[in-house]
Amino acid sequence: MSPETAQKNAGGSTLTRDVSVLNRYGIHARPAALLVKTATPFACEILIEKNGVKVNAKSIMGLLTLEGNHGAKLKIHATGADAADALAALADLFERKFFED
Amino acid sequence: MWRTAESPRITVADFFEAGRVSLRLDWEANPEAAVGREITEVSLNRPGLALAGFVRYFAHRRIQVLGLAEMTYLGSLPVPERIARLQTLAHVPAVVMSRGRRLPSYVRQALLPLRVPVIRTHLVTGHFMNAATVLMQNMTSPRIRVAGTMVEINGVGVLLEGEPGIGKSEIALALIKRGHSLVVDDTTILTRDSTGAIHGSAVPITREHMEIRGLGIIHVPGLFGVASMREGMRLDLIIRMQKSPAGDDTIDRTGLDTQFRDVLGVDIPLITVPVAAGRDLTNVVEVAALNQRMKQMGHDAARELDEKLKVALARKD
Repeated sequence: MSPETAQKNAGGSTLTRDVSVLNRYGIHARPAALLVKTATPFACEILIEKNGVKVNAKSIMGLLTLEGNHGAKLKIHATGADAADALAALADLFERKFFED
Repeated sequence: MWRTAESPRITVADFFEAGRVSLRLDWEANPEAAVGREITEVSLNRPGLALAGFVRYFAHRRIQVLGLAEMTYLGSLPVPERIARLQTLAHVPAVVMSRGRRLPSYVRQALLPLRVPVIRTHLVTGHFMNAATVLMQNMTSPRIRVAGTMVEINGVGVLLEGEPGIGKSEIALALIKRGHSLVVDDTTILTRDSTGAIHGSAVPITREHMEIRGLGIIHVPGLFGVASMREGMRLDLIIRMQKSPAGDDTIDRTGLDTQFRDVLGVDIPLITVPVAAGRDLTNVVEVAALNQRMKQMGHDAARELDEKLKVALARKD
């Protein structure tokens, strides 16, 4: 599976992108809030998946139940017109370790 | 519309942790072998026949329970023979000793090198078999994780769903203030138990918390007391909150046509309520729960009124 499968999404089909949790403490409250803040302005539906379990990226409590520990491999699914931009914005947060460490 | 269900696989270590208190379990031998050791057949077996030498049909995928009968039988054999017979248990997931019995030294000698986890229960054999069967069935029952907040309103389990930010948590908070209980905020695990009922519960790590926009994360039992929380609840009703444009004709105005959602093969009543600025949905949700309870007791207000109307109108013919 390629790490980056996001392309322009004119139709509204689901785009996905693989990301890794790189910061030391994983997705705790602050990174979860940052993800929600970043995801919410996008109109598309955004889900984050770990081991087959998907949660809504616009929900803090949902993200916390994901238990995204350091090193976890996650997949972001975005469905809607602005899906490609949403994927890019969220993947960027993962790559920047949520501005931690 | 909901993701497909999963039926979790369980290991001996999972079983031990889940039953440690309720089944009164202790490790007797080889606890390290329990990690990652899957229980592929969720049931229990008394291995009396196999120990007696009949191994053509032996339910070796199940946890084996050594009760008084098995131990008395083994005790009747010469020692080398006992050890030879116990080799039959080499590939079982785990062995359980009932009534809190310790392993006799010859059993320990036979089972230790086989790396078979041995658990001791302080229950009597029959009670353990019943309780452990129910526990394992519930652990492996089909389940789905759904986006929704679950509350208990006067004994009715209600799942509130709707897109993030629509106000599910705020309604739950208002319901708690009125004396109802929170089951879980935001992410609910629904399972179908061994009786066919659907149960809602929380992901353990976030069980006692909610997120309220503007406040952040709050600790519910800390603020409202332990009575404000329930660990799990049967699901009776789903309320879908929906922003709907004026003139939306998908909203049921009579309550005559009950809608259902298929949850793990069980039909759960579904109500869609429109969300509009300034509309206090707490009352609506509370009344919906009470109305559902009336229906479960055999009273359907919409239908009863409709019948009355039909009779009254017929008289005017």
